[in-house]
Amino acid sequence: MHGPAALQLTPDGRLKHLLTTEGLPKSLITELLDTAETFLSSQGQPVKKVPLLRGKTVVNLFFENSTRTRTTFDIAAHRLSADVVTLDIRTSSASKGETLFDTLKNLEAMQADLFVVRHSAGGAPFFIADRVTPNIAVINAGDGTHAHPTQALLDLMTIRKHKGDPANLSVAIVGDLKHSRVARSLIHGLRGMGCPDIRAIGPGTLLPSDLGHLGVRTFHAIEDGLKDVDVVVLLRLQKERMSSALLPSEREFFNLYGMTESRLRLAKDNAIVMHPGPINRGVEIANEVADGPQAVILDQVTNGIAIRMAVMAMTLSTQQGSHS
Amino acid sequence: MSVIIQNIQIISPGSPLHGTTEIGINNGEFVNPKTLADATELNGNSAWLVPGLIDCRVNLREPGLEHKGTIASETRAAVAGGVTSVVATPTTDPVVDSPADVRLVLERAKASGHCRVFPTAMLTQGGSGNHLSEMAALVDAGCVALAQGNRPFNSRKIEFNALKYAQSLGIRVILDSESRDFAGGCAHAGQIGTGLGLSLNSPLSETLGLGADLELVEATGVSAHFSRITTKTSVDRIREAKAKGLQITCDVTLSHLLYSEQAIVNLDPNFHLERPLRTEDDRLALIAGVVDGTIDLIVSDHSPHETGAKLAPFPETEKGMSLIEGVIQLLLTLDQRGELSFEQSLAAMTSNAAQVINQKELGAVQYGNPADCVLLDPNGSTTYNQEQWLSAGTNSPLFGQTLPGRVMGSWIHGQHIAP
Repeated sequence: MHGPAALQLTPDGRLKHLLTTEGLPKSLITELLDTAETFLSSQGQPVKKVPLLRGKTVVNLFFENSTRTRTTFDIAAHRLSADVVTLDIRTSSASKGETLFDTLKNLEAMQADLFVVRHSAGGAPFFIADRVTPNIAVINAGDGTHAHPTQALLDLMTIRKHKGDPANLSVAIVGDLKHSRVARSLIHGLRGMGCPDIRAIGPGTLLPSDLGHLGVRTFHAIEDGLKDVDVVVLLRLQKERMSSALLPSEREFFNLYGMTESRLRLAKDNAIVMHPGPINRGVEIANEVADGPQAVILDQVTNGIAIRMAVMAMTLSTQQGSHS
Repeated sequence: MSVIIQNIQIISPGSPLHGTTEIGINNGEFVNPKTLADATELNGNSAWLVPGLIDCRVNLREPGLEHKGTIASETRAAVAGGVTSVVATPTTDPVVDSPADVRLVLERAKASGHCRVFPTAMLTQGGSGNHLSEMAALVDAGCVALAQGNRPFNSRKIEFNALKYAQSLGIRVILDSESRDFAGGCAHAGQIGTGLGLSLNSPLSETLGLGADLELVEATGVSAHFSRITTKTSVDRIREAKAKGLQITCDVTLSHLLYSEQAIVNLDPNFHLERPLRTEDDRLALIAGVVDGTIDLIVSDHSPHETGAKLAPFPETEKGMSLIEGVIQLLLTLDQRGELSFEQSLAAMTSNAAQVINQKELGAVQYGNPADCVLLDPNGSTTYNQEQWLSAGTNSPLFGQTLPGRVMGSWIHGQHIAP
C-alpha cells in the first residue's frame, strides 16, 4: 500500500484517518458497518444522541460547495455530542498551498480533534493528513474525482442490509464513472469486501479507459450489463458533460442508460436501485423506478448519518489510543 | 598556470584521448602533457576524467523569478552535478525575447555564474505565439537557438511562418510538441492518474503536436530540435522521420528516463512535471531511443521552485523538479541499474549536445579544446540533504538519497572549481 491508503492506518492496522476505501481490509470495513448499525435504533433511524465525543471539536473544512454531505456530517457530529465548527472556504483554483497549509495550522492551534475535509483537488485530504499534528483525525468528505469514502461505506452498508454479503453479489454501476469519486470509492470498497462481479455501464466518453486492472467489466449496452445483477448503482450526471462534448443530450443519455422499469427487469427480481443523490428524474432514473419498491435511495441517506458517526467514533478512538 | 592531471582514466566517447591516463591543461585549453614544462602535477587517484556536461534545458529563473532561483545559485548547483555548460530557457518573467534580454542574461552569467551559460530566446515576441521575434538580432546577441517553450503558437500557420523565417536565417529552433486541444492535466492518462482521480494528460497531447510539427519541419526545411519527448509513439515517429532524412534532433529529460507514472502514487508534488511521467513501457522506449541514437540528448529540465510552490495538494502545485545537482550521479545510477551505459548517456550530454548548440569545441576532451572537464570518482558516492543543497529550489526527490559517484573537482576553460 502507498499514499492515502497507507497513511490512514496505524502500523497495527487500525483506522486513524479515513482518506480512501482503497486498501481497506474486509475486517475493517465490516467493523465500520457493524459500528454504524449500533447507531441505528430498532426502527432503523439513527439514535438521537450519545455522549461518545463530548468535549471534542469537529471542524468541517469545506473548500468545495456541498449541502447534503456537510449536513449529514453536521448531524452525525451533533449526535455524538461533539462541538461542531463549519468553515466554508471557497478557494479559486489559482489559490496557493500556503493558504491551505496555514489555514490548517491555524485550526490546529484552536485545538480541533477532527477535520472533515472536502476539496476540489484530488489528494487534498491526504495533503492535510500528512501534515496535521498527531492525534487529529482527518476524514475525506470528497476530493476532486479521487475518493468519497463515507459515501462508499454507506452504500456498502445499504447493500449489506438489503442483499447480504457483497462477496456473493453482482453490482452494476451506471453512468459517468469517469468523473465520479463515488464510483471509484465504491469499486475499491466492493473489492475490499470480496465482491466477485463489478460492472461499469456507460458510453465510452464517460468510462475510464482502464477499469480492467480493478477487476471491473465494462459494458456499453445497458441490456448486457444489467443481466442478473443484484444491485444497480446509478450516478448523477452533471450538466457540464454536455457542454464539454462528452454527451449529446440528457435525453439521449436517458434513452440509452436511463433506469426504467423494463430495463430493471433484466436484473434479478429483487434487485435494489441506489443513487448517491440528488437524483435527476428523467435523466438517470424514471419516476416509476425512483418511487418504486426496489429503490433504496432514501435509506442510503439515513445510513449515511450512521456511517459518518461510526467513522468519527472509530478514527477518534484510534487517535486517542495512540495518545495514551 | 598549467597543470597535468595524472593517474586518471579519460572517458570521452569519440575522442582520440578516450581511455588514456593523463591530460595537460594550459591557457584554458587541453594540451598534450608532454609539451608542458614545470606544470603542477595532480594525482587523479584512478578517477575518471570526463568532458564537462552540457545540459541543454535549464530554467535559471533570471530575470524576474529570482525567488525560485538565480543564475548564481543554479549554476553553482549545476557544477556540483558535473555540468559545466547550461542552455537557459527563455521562459522567465518577462520572457527573453529581445537582444537586451539576452545581453542581460549573459552579463549576469558573467558576473555571478559558476559555469558557461548559453541563452535561448522566444521565437515570438513576448512568447505570444503571434508576432515573430527579431530572430537575427537575438542570435547576434548570443542565442544558440530559439524556442517557444511551453507557450503555444496561436496557429499552425504562424508556427509555419516562424519556422520558415528561422530556416532562411539558418537558425535552429527548439520545439515542445503539444496539441493545444489535448493540453493540460497533471498526470498521465493511465491507471495511476485515473486511480488517484487527478486531471489527466493524454499522450495524444504530445503525439498529435509532434505529427503536425514534423510536417511543418519537413515543409520548411528548418533545423529543429524536439524537446522533452515522453512517449514510445514519439520515439517511433522521430526514428521514422530521421530515417527519412529530416534534419532533426531530440531530447528526453532525466526524470523521464528515471521514473514512470508509478512515482506519483504518494502524490509527492516533486513529481508534478510539465510533461507527466508516463508508463513503464514509455520509459523503456525512451531508454531504447537513447541507446539506438534516436534520442540525441538528455536534459535535466531543471526547474527550481520556492517552497510554497510545492506546499499544496498535488494538482495545485507548480510543475517541475530541481535535479541539476545530481545529473552526473543520476547518469551513473542508470548505468548501475543496467539500463543505460555511462558512455552512452555521457555522449548524450557532451559531444551530442555540443553539436546541437553548435559549440563544437566543447563536449570532448581533446587537445586544443577549451578545458571543460570533471574529475569523477565512480566508486565514491554523493548523499543529498537540505543542509548541503546548493540550488534555491528544494523541490527535489533527491533528499535523503545516496547516489553513486562523487565529483572531485571541475575545470571550466581551465579554471579549477573545487567541489
